[in-house]
Amino acid sequence: MIHKKTAAAGWIILICMIAAAVLAPWLAPYNPYSDMFATYLKPSPEHLLGTNDIGQDIFSELLYGARTSLEIGFLSAFLSIGIGSMIGIISGWYGGNIDRFLMKITAFFMTIPFLPTVIILSAFTRPTPCTTSIILGIMSWSGTARIVRSQILNLKSKEYIQTIKAMGASNFYILTRHILKELLPFLMYRSSARVRSGILSESSLSFLGLGSTVVKSWGTIIYYAQAKNALLTNAWIWWILPPGFCIILISCSLTMITYGAESKTDRRLE
Amino acid sequence: MKKRIYHYLVILVAVIVVNFLLPHLLPGSPLKSLVGENPGDMTAAQKMGILEAYHLNDPLWKQFLYYLRDLFSFHWGNSYSKRQPVTTLIASRMGWTLLLAGSNMILSTLIGTALGAWSALRRKEKKDLPLIISTTILDSIPSFWMAVILLAVFGVKLGWFPIYGAYSMWENYTGVKRILDILHHLALPLLTMLVTSLMGFFTTSRYSVLQILNEDYVKMAKMRGIPGNRVLIWYIMRNTLVPVFTMFMMEAGYLLSGSVLIETVFSYPGLGTLMQEAVKARDYPLIQYTFLIASVMTVTALFLADILYSKIDPRLEVLNDT
Repeated sequence: MIHKKTAAAGWIILICMIAAAVLAPWLAPYNPYSDMFATYLKPSPEHLLGTNDIGQDIFSELLYGARTSLEIGFLSAFLSIGIGSMIGIISGWYGGNIDRFLMKITAFFMTIPFLPTVIILSAFTRPTPCTTSIILGIMSWSGTARIVRSQILNLKSKEYIQTIKAMGASNFYILTRHILKELLPFLMYRSSARVRSGILSESSLSFLGLGSTVVKSWGTIIYYAQAKNALLTNAWIWWILPPGFCIILISCSLTMITYGAESKTDRRLE
Repeated sequence: MKKRIYHYLVILVAVIVVNFLLPHLLPGSPLKSLVGENPGDMTAAQKMGILEAYHLNDPLWKQFLYYLRDLFSFHWGNSYSKRQPVTTLIASRMGWTLLLAGSNMILSTLIGTALGAWSALRRKEKKDLPLIISTTILDSIPSFWMAVILLAVFGVKLGWFPIYGAYSMWENYTGVKRILDILHHLALPLLTMLVTSLMGFFTTSRYSVLQILNEDYVKMAKMRGIPGNRVLIWYIMRNTLVPVFTMFMMEAGYLLSGSVLIETVFSYPGLGTLMQEAVKARDYPLIQYTFLIASVMTVTALFLADILYSKIDPRLEVLNDT
């Protein structure tokens, strides 16, 4: 019961955030890319959170920033789950040398340190939301692959799968019609966890100055605020606190969704 | 055992090869990665000279051999943004990172494990919710953001702690005064790191103590009248050793990942800041070798963890071999 309520609350927060991101052009009082005002304004009714160093409205930046953060979160999670489940399924289903080879690659990706690798990959490429998502996706599939593989091994020995196989069903048919269906709850649960860490990693990268230079995200807002010494004045209260709260809020909502999904997968495993 | 060593060797070799290939695989001229963003200012002869000096006109396999030779003889080239050899830079920064991350690891292991065990022992079923909520929130705070906020409040606003570096650069403290000065600078970055790494130890230790509490042998030990503290230490905490150790080695392996962000915020002169500065200046040789150091550290920590497991719990050795 409590799992259901938690997950529902998580979904409500997430949907509100997505709505805010999608409707940003209509919700935001100004366009943070083109509308310029006086610089370093304090919060006022016209500018709810003041303006930044080049005179952009911070509240509007925040709404538009949600777009980038969510986009990268979802895209990187999609890639990471896609690659991970594909490798896990192939590895577990076919076994043998393919399995051994793929598991070596998985072990390699598990061993190399995540953040330093992501940092240098971003440093070597010109970051856009798309490349950032690809880098994050490529660097985060290994855990999923391992778990999917072990689940496939488990499913493979199940009687009904054996029966379908004996009846002459093709691998493709079994994998898409039956195995994927069994995996779905787990993949759902895993996806929400991946979206969350995608958003957190993106904000860390942007904070290090490795985000896209043209598109705003919550991480880049904090990066510029810190670079412009918002800490030394009181500006950090409306410039650095709000984007941080946004990150925390969305991350909490995704944890709550994961928590709900987790209990569902547990029940299925029993 | 042999199989494990072999496995880690393969990964180590892969890391070294990837580190060699990275600048080759990614777009842009290699010149850019050697002398900076503006090779346009140089004459054609100068360019050829550099290509020649770095063996960039040789076939790839020959370049790889040169790379291996330089790697193992510690000729890691020069950082062009700092105009110093990469090895000198890394050596001078290593100590600070080890101080910060090392004290964090020790403290977070001790405090986190103790808190986790304490909360498990005092568990009341109905009061789990506040704990879950607070751990969820704590787990969601980006470490760099917390660092910035702590710096703003305790460093700038209240002025309790220095806001920059690892020691007072303009004073010549000696002896106890110097140690106190270093500790004073260490406090805020360490606190931030502690809060982020405590969580892992807390949940691990709490979970394993909760599992063990209801084991028959623990109940039996209590019934036999063995003093509570003895049961706690020799019967319960002993079993949290393996999971806590796993966390500890994970922390050790990903040491640099955690410190990049926090060191950057506090301008702490460690490896993390070095990496961030290198990235900012697009100083490719420096980026490449800080990455190598980070990866080698991770591989080594995981390898040590694997070896030490069987020492802590011999049953795991049997499991591994089968």
